[in-house]
Amino acid sequence: MTLILGILEEGFIYAVMALGVYITYKILDFPDLSVDSTFPLGAAFTASAILAGVHPALTLFLSFLAGALAGCVTGFIHVKLKVRDLLSGIIVMTGLYSLNLRIAGGRANVPIFTQETIFENRFLTDHIPETVSPYTVVIILFIIAMICKILLDLYLNTRSGYLLRAVGDNESLVTSLAKDKGMVKIVGLAIANGFAALAGSIYCQHKGFFEISVGTGTIVIGLASVIIGIQLLTPENGTSLFSRLFKKELRPTTAVIAGSIIYKACISIAISMGMEANDLKLITSILFLIILVVSTERRKKVKAHA
Amino acid sequence: MKKTMKTLILAAMAVSLLTGCSGTSGSGQTEGSKAPETVSANTPEADGTSAQADESQASSDNTADVADDKSYTIGIGQFASHGSLDNCREGFLQGLAEEGIVEGQNLTVLYENSQADGGIASQIVTNFASQKVDLICGIATPMAQSAYGIGRKQNIPVIYTAVTDPVAAELANEDGTPVGEITGTSDKLPVTQQLQMIRTMLPDAKVIGIMFTTSEVNSLSAIEEYKAAAGDYGFEIVDIGISTTADVPLAADSLLEKVDCVTNLTDNTVVASLPVILDKAAKKNIPVFGSEIEQVKIGCLAAMGLDYIDLGKQTGRMAAAVLKGEKKASEMSFEIIEEAAFYGNTKVAENLGITIPEDLTSSAKELFTEISQ
Amino acid sequence: MLKLNSINKYYNTGTVNEMCLFQDFNLSIQEGQFVSVVGSNGSGKTSMLNIICGSIPVDSGTIYMGDENITNMPEFKRLRRIGRVYQNPAMGTCPHMTILENMALADNKGKSFNLRPGTNKKRIDFYRENLKSLGLGLEDKLHVKVGVLSGGQRQAMALLMSTMTPIEFLILDEHTAALDPKTAEVIMELTDKVVKEKKLTTIMVTHNLRYAVEYGSRLIMMHQGQSVVDAAGDKKAAIKIDDLLSRFNAISIECGN
Repeated sequence: MTLILGILEEGFIYAVMALGVYITYKILDFPDLSVDSTFPLGAAFTASAILAGVHPALTLFLSFLAGALAGCVTGFIHVKLKVRDLLSGIIVMTGLYSLNLRIAGGRANVPIFTQETIFENRFLTDHIPETVSPYTVVIILFIIAMICKILLDLYLNTRSGYLLRAVGDNESLVTSLAKDKGMVKIVGLAIANGFAALAGSIYCQHKGFFEISVGTGTIVIGLASVIIGIQLLTPENGTSLFSRLFKKELRPTTAVIAGSIIYKACISIAISMGMEANDLKLITSILFLIILVVSTERRKKVKAHA
Repeated sequence: MKKTMKTLILAAMAVSLLTGCSGTSGSGQTEGSKAPETVSANTPEADGTSAQADESQASSDNTADVADDKSYTIGIGQFASHGSLDNCREGFLQGLAEEGIVEGQNLTVLYENSQADGGIASQIVTNFASQKVDLICGIATPMAQSAYGIGRKQNIPVIYTAVTDPVAAELANEDGTPVGEITGTSDKLPVTQQLQMIRTMLPDAKVIGIMFTTSEVNSLSAIEEYKAAAGDYGFEIVDIGISTTADVPLAADSLLEKVDCVTNLTDNTVVASLPVILDKAAKKNIPVFGSEIEQVKIGCLAAMGLDYIDLGKQTGRMAAAVLKGEKKASEMSFEIIEEAAFYGNTKVAENLGITIPEDLTSSAKELFTEISQ
Repeated sequence: MLKLNSINKYYNTGTVNEMCLFQDFNLSIQEGQFVSVVGSNGSGKTSMLNIICGSIPVDSGTIYMGDENITNMPEFKRLRRIGRVYQNPAMGTCPHMTILENMALADNKGKSFNLRPGTNKKRIDFYRENLKSLGLGLEDKLHVKVGVLSGGQRQAMALLMSTMTPIEFLILDEHTAALDPKTAEVIMELTDKVVKEKKLTTIMVTHNLRYAVEYGSRLIMMHQGQSVVDAAGDKKAAIKIDDLLSRFNAISIECGN
């Protein structure tokens, strides 16, 4: 049970970040590496803000803004300074590493064990009955992930959201609609990195400390979640595993959250089977490859039958 | 919304299914299970602490009737692969064994290494918690913090080692008492002994150079300590900060221009690139002092260092006290090793044309006669 | 309505591959004109459209739309008043969005893309009517993704989308070239209908001489960055396909082909 709770907790935290990666990778078609630094940005900011006495719930919101700002920078570098997408992400990622250390007061590790967080505060201890308390954390995380998912779903169905989807689909149409496609991309990157930083803030409050190394490989986790979720659970490539089982289609955002949980479950199983952390990255990349190959195979078959 | 709920339930079910499978295979694969698993046969009432009783009850089948000892499961999480950290782990198990808790007999050890990945570190600890370990040992600061983050929610005591500054890491209060069910040992450098040793070996040296990573908290506090104490021994400290491994060669060149000798901290990035610094220093005939045995082994002239095996042993004994229920982790302040030991490398000394003074060699814990790569 | 004044445009300036595309090119189009543009490959037809839309900058010269100088206006701002249909049917629609969503997108052109719902439910019937007028049965497939439609269906939608909101100027860039002859015919008739209904000023680049002759009120033939034939009104009505063909041949011989 603890293991399942642990997986769900980790899964929901990273799901928030994966929603951001879904925006860049799937909607904008922009390989954005800056999440590797905006995730720790959220964590660093949260640690410093909480130590400075900012309300933990407010840090979530502020972290989102900080991440969004970083996303704007990536977007600006790409759109206005005409740097290639991958490179703009790398530039921001590298620069933010130093900035994150600065935000954390020059320290690579900032503990906040003794502070109140969204998971541990007087309100919760006073109002949550003993029997529920082991599940409080996972419930809070579930609620946050759901709010993010629902807000994103709602946003994607607004006019602005339509434009965001259009820019990844067909840039020239956006220009035809008399809209600056660069601005739309910047908005998309801002939202995506906002989510990544929000996830970092949640992560920091959940673990009780900020550590500069938490950002390493965030993009990999995000991509894995998106690819697993989208390829396995949505009808993008003909019939999905999910729709075959349940005769229903899933929203991509839901699939991304599920993908994040599945990914974390795989990692957890790999660790408990005695897999070395050294090998995890290789296993992740092989998993990637298999899913991508299998789904393109299936797409071919669907086409052949059509 | 309904769809969403369904998916999440599905995901949760999938997870529980998957973990169900791994539960069976996992138990057979843990490191400690080389010897056939001892059937634990304690009666909960005979046991001291109730928290442990609960856990052992959950994990053991009451098949056999009587046994002398209860058996334990512990999780050791190590943050990175690194000579001194490996030694800590080895010493830790030795320390436990001295207290009669022997791996393979009455101790099952789950060992995981996060290879310096913070995200993995916390997942490793979550896994330990789910396997109902009786105690988690966290080696190095980030792992200790991860362990405490999870352990305090699951009521699992945590023992740490190789945490240089437990107070700064918020694992201990200012007075050294633990912040919760967590205690352990610190690997704080014996700065004054090191300075004394350098003075003995190099009577004419004036300037000591130190390279450090600007983001490592432990290095910053060590530098401060060196600067504060250097004057007493007639030294001046010149430091140079780096941010990544790639900066080491240039920083080394610049540092070596200004100093009579170099001393090393336990800075992870710098230690990892030590061969580069040693090589450059050797060409300029500048002695480099280490901070622990592994560094002397690979070519530092000498070190007044901690014996990480001893540090591990000391930690192991603390863990044993907690496991046996003699003391709670929250009742023990963290400990440091007061006595530093001398390590020397005669081959390096010969290359530099230095003779290590008699009174140092006679008290040496270990002298190396060659440089191992 | 639209005026290009002494446009100069060179490609690969300063390299051995420097190529002059337009030298002192002038063009003026009156309001309500439907201009067909023909010409061999590389004669500058599409470049002219790109210059009008701002997809490529000019080296010198000015562009006026109405009274406004738009020479330095970015592409997306110019397209506020211009509708453009491309040769590639995929360029005018979003393949991963549904027909309804595409229609709603086009309907929002010129309005602010804010946080209001992307699809206005009250407008769905209007979209359905519009789609019905295409006669392709798209009105029953509102929730189908555009990516699964055929090229002809997509091009019909692209045309519909680019003319849905009030625009002053329609640019058709070989918009029937990628379609089979029958579909091309349907799209061409549709184009004529839309242009007449909405009284749009139009430039149509085409390789189909018959369309150039049959449709439109003015015909321009381009060669090496200059218009070599420019006929409007009765003069245009008198032009036959054979005249154009012989003119083409003459040009080709000049060039040594």
